[in-house]
Amino acid sequence: MIGNLPFVVSMVLVVLGLWTLMTRRNLIKLAVGIVLIENGVNLFLVSLGYVRGGIAPIYTFAPADAPMVMPTPQALTLTSIVIGMATTALLLTFAVVIHRHRGTLDAGKIRELRG
Amino acid sequence: MSWTVHVPILTIAVPLLGAFALPLMAKVHRRLRDLWLVGVGAFTVAMIVTLAVQVFTGGVQVYTLGAEAADATLGPEGFPIRIMLVVDAMSAFMALIAALLGGAALVYALGFVEEGKGKTLSMSLFLLLWAGMLGLKLTGDMFNFFVFFEITTVAACGLIGFRAWESRSPEAAFKTLVMYILGGLLVLLAVGVLYGQYGALNMAFLSSQIQGGALDRIALGLLLGGLLMKAGAVPMHMWAPDAYGEADANTAIVLVANTQAALYGLFRMVFTMYGGASTPAVGWLVTALGALTILVAVLMAVIQTDLGRLIAYGAVSQIGFMLLAAGVGLATLATRPEFGRVALQGGVFHMFNDAACIGLLLLCAGAVRRAAGTGDLRSLGGLAHTEVWTSGFFLLGALALAGIPPLNGFASKLMIYQSSFRLSPILTALAVLASILLLAVFVRAFQGAFLGPRRNLEGGQPISPAMLAGMAVLAVVVIAFGLVPDLVVRHMVAPAADALWTGRDVYLAAVLGG
Amino acid sequence: MNLLTGEGFWSPLVWLALAVAVTALTWWFRSKGRQDYKKGTEQATPFLSGEPMPEGVHVGGQHLYWGFVEALRPFVERIRAFHTGVVVDYVTWLVVMLAVVFLVVMLS
Repeated sequence: MIGNLPFVVSMVLVVLGLWTLMTRRNLIKLAVGIVLIENGVNLFLVSLGYVRGGIAPIYTFAPADAPMVMPTPQALTLTSIVIGMATTALLLTFAVVIHRHRGTLDAGKIRELRG
Repeated sequence: MSWTVHVPILTIAVPLLGAFALPLMAKVHRRLRDLWLVGVGAFTVAMIVTLAVQVFTGGVQVYTLGAEAADATLGPEGFPIRIMLVVDAMSAFMALIAALLGGAALVYALGFVEEGKGKTLSMSLFLLLWAGMLGLKLTGDMFNFFVFFEITTVAACGLIGFRAWESRSPEAAFKTLVMYILGGLLVLLAVGVLYGQYGALNMAFLSSQIQGGALDRIALGLLLGGLLMKAGAVPMHMWAPDAYGEADANTAIVLVANTQAALYGLFRMVFTMYGGASTPAVGWLVTALGALTILVAVLMAVIQTDLGRLIAYGAVSQIGFMLLAAGVGLATLATRPEFGRVALQGGVFHMFNDAACIGLLLLCAGAVRRAAGTGDLRSLGGLAHTEVWTSGFFLLGALALAGIPPLNGFASKLMIYQSSFRLSPILTALAVLASILLLAVFVRAFQGAFLGPRRNLEGGQPISPAMLAGMAVLAVVVIAFGLVPDLVVRHMVAPAADALWTGRDVYLAAVLGG
Repeated sequence: MNLLTGEGFWSPLVWLALAVAVTALTWWFRSKGRQDYKKGTEQATPFLSGEPMPEGVHVGGQHLYWGFVEALRPFVERIRAFHTGVVVDYVTWLVVMLAVVFLVVMLS
């Protein structure tokens, strides 16, 4: 049961992020919501590859018969973190530009494009 | 081993390299940058055409990265561990669409994007988007599918929000970016679920393992959600008119190709990966979403007053036609009747036709904005007096989009009508009604923008020959595909549709061996 | 040279030939019509419907299909109300659709 805790936490993070996106209207908070979902997904990926009692997949002094955690999910997570950084940076950049033009970060007021 | 085995990776690598080298070239000289841009574009298009010819004549082409031989797909334990590109007829067909729209956008952009308004960076992002899109279409691996998905996200949103000196463009980019990131994360979550279950990321291997259990279905739901959003299915389409309407014309047509790449991803997932475990309910869901998309988008187009936004809603409605056709195919996948195959052919054919005519219209809208300084239909008018070619191209694109014979839109829509009629006549009635409305919408737009007495519009600039050349490329395709639809269907569309309809075993055999 | 569509076929070249024939026939028929109307009088001006406009003004694009659009307006306004332009609503629709997709995928 305790082994499933990371999955539960990651799903809680995803749901919290979605909840943030649906209830908050500040553009920065929307970015925070997206980062929450991202971290939830990353946690999910990392915990997928965990082997109980395993050691790091790249370790010079590892004993010959030691179990290792799976390296692929860690590689995926690293890639995903980098991508997440890029998208978050872009998101915040646009928030800054929008604030310069409109003087507000309220998503409810940034609706020049509608209908 | 001839060089042609390396064509799949060159198709992706060349625009990727070109994107990052472009600012360096611009540091040296502007001429060198333009030369580099044209060179990279021409080489990419040549690679895609070579690839398509190879695949259409020689069957599925596999390229394994980091292996001794390109077709050494399996690791020492008989298990595909390496990253690989798998190009079947459908992938090649989609790459051809990317080649058409990317090439036209590049030619158009040479005359359209102004120096001093970030031409270098805009073209860099364009090449990056092109590379990401091609990667999305050629990859045979779930995680790279996600990576290319995110490359297109960043590049596309960078391009949409490029004109940061205007207030509308960053707004459109922010909204689109939020949706794209969410879609990407749903896909990544699905990748995680599938990896956790099967310990593999290779699409062909996953396809051979998927039985349709609960976790498989969760992954399918996540993939459907993310990809339908990126394809712009109602009611998740609202970013699309913002993005298409606010982006530069040359960006907007690449965004159309990007949307279709998401649609390709959807087809790949439901037909190839879940082909063995698909249920008609998913097909019916896609069909219903397609019908809803057609209807809502067309009705919204009726009341638009901005030319770019009006065409954008037209583009969304066309996605509905493709979803409708694919849904009909998917709902009948278990029994494989002949009309399901025709529907799928119609949908696949319509992708190319939509790319050509929506692309043409979006480029015309860009030219109108350039020539008149505004895209507002209430203040436009009389452009046909000065812009003869642009008005001709717009009329051609509008008639093709509404499905007026003998242009290309009619042929594919006829196939969709006749086959969806066999599933349910209501679908056909909706689709025909939408086409009629679409014709009304575009006749109004044409009348509003081009006909009438001359108006003195301020801020207008001349349309450059490069822009006209970009439009002409697409216009030629619209006419040519309209006049010889049978040849196109027999040699390009039918293999592509069959790759989805019956080609799953061939796809699996190409990767996993006999 | 025919595109088979399951139920029948489609040949653009035959269609073009027929279109040329019909156009020629129409033109011939039209040339048989009355030639005795008076040019430059009320008889030669086009008939306009739609919103009232001052004389001699170009009818813009938004007036075309006026009745058509006006009849559709109640439906369209309802759909337009969905397109609020608030990014939070976009996300909400995504979540709603995700729920629908899951319902269909899991229950089938």
